Amino acid sequence: MRRILPLLILAALTLVAAQALAQESITKLAPEAFGKFQRPPALFAHDKHNEKAKLDECVVCHHGGADGKQDKSASTEGTPCADCHKVKPAGKATGLQRAYHKQCIDCHRAKGKGPLACGQCHKR
Amino acid sequence: MNAAYEFVTGPLAWIAWGIFLLGSAWRLISMYQLAKKKDASSWAFLDLGFSLRSIVNWLIPFNALGWRKNPLLTVTTFAFHVCLVAVPVFLMAHVALWTEFFGLSYATLPDNVADIMTLVVLAACLVFAGRRLTQKDVAYITTGKDWLALAIVALPFLTGFLAYHQVFDYQIMLIAHIVAGEIMLAAIPFTRLSHMVFAAFTRAYMGSEFGGVRHARDW
Repeated sequence: MRRILPLLILAALTLVAAQALAQESITKLAPEAFGKFQRPPALFAHDKHNEKAKLDECVVCHHGGADGKQDKSASTEGTPCADCHKVKPAGKATGLQRAYHKQCIDCHRAKGKGPLACGQCHKR
Repeated sequence: MNAAYEFVTGPLAWIAWGIFLLGSAWRLISMYQLAKKKDASSWAFLDLGFSLRSIVNWLIPFNALGWRKNPLLTVTTFAFHVCLVAVPVFLMAHVALWTEFFGLSYATLPDNVADIMTLVVLAACLVFAGRRLTQKDVAYITTGKDWLALAIVALPFLTGFLAYHQVFDYQIMLIAHIVAGEIMLAAIPFTRLSHMVFAAFTRAYMGSEFGGVRHARDW
């Protein structure tokens, strides 16, 4: 155990670093689930956005829920949006495009800050 | 700029739709009353069968003599009207707004197809304009009202095309596009565009007279 413990710690650290780096590198929202894009992917610099918007809580965006109802108490950071929001949703579930639009635009509207119109995010 | 966007997609959109719907209803009702007062006999021979016969025959390209005599106009006007209605109704970005504001969603056109259809509308506007300038019989009856109607229709498509391709300042172009679309909606009842509301009744009137009075075809 004493021999493999440093290795385990190193592995864990690598994972955390990889996760952090991966998050830092998010500059646009381009989930593969959409297939071929009709418009340019929405620009979204994750860390810069959250710094500017003073967002510390992941759950503000990374919510839980089911059947079209959001659960703001269950944080789901790390789970890609497309895992829950299908491109073609079944029943009352919120579709992937709608989920993104709702998440971004509704908040921007409520706060009176940030882009609202198509081409402000889907920049060519 | 967000405030301007929210104004044109909010209150101004309600006003434009209100003018379009209420204005169209008012034009139909007042035309009905005028026709009853001034042309009562036409109501006597108005016939559903003859009306539909005329409408259907004129809806088929190259079926009516008037279409066969003007092949360029026929191709242009059919392509124009199909694109004119289909693009704004089935454009993905427009449906996304119906979803955003009312939770409505339905089938959409692929963006590249809608893009080409927009160019078809603009090209058709040029053909219509050229026809008004060069064809003598058409030029003779052309007035400022016809040019106004053409401009009102061309502008939402031109600005929409430029906004979609993000040419010039995107936000200004998008707001110009929305306002141009709202001007078009509001102008429908009160300009030459009112044929959108009246066309079926014009054909019904002609079809009924030709069918029931002259015993002839009107296509």
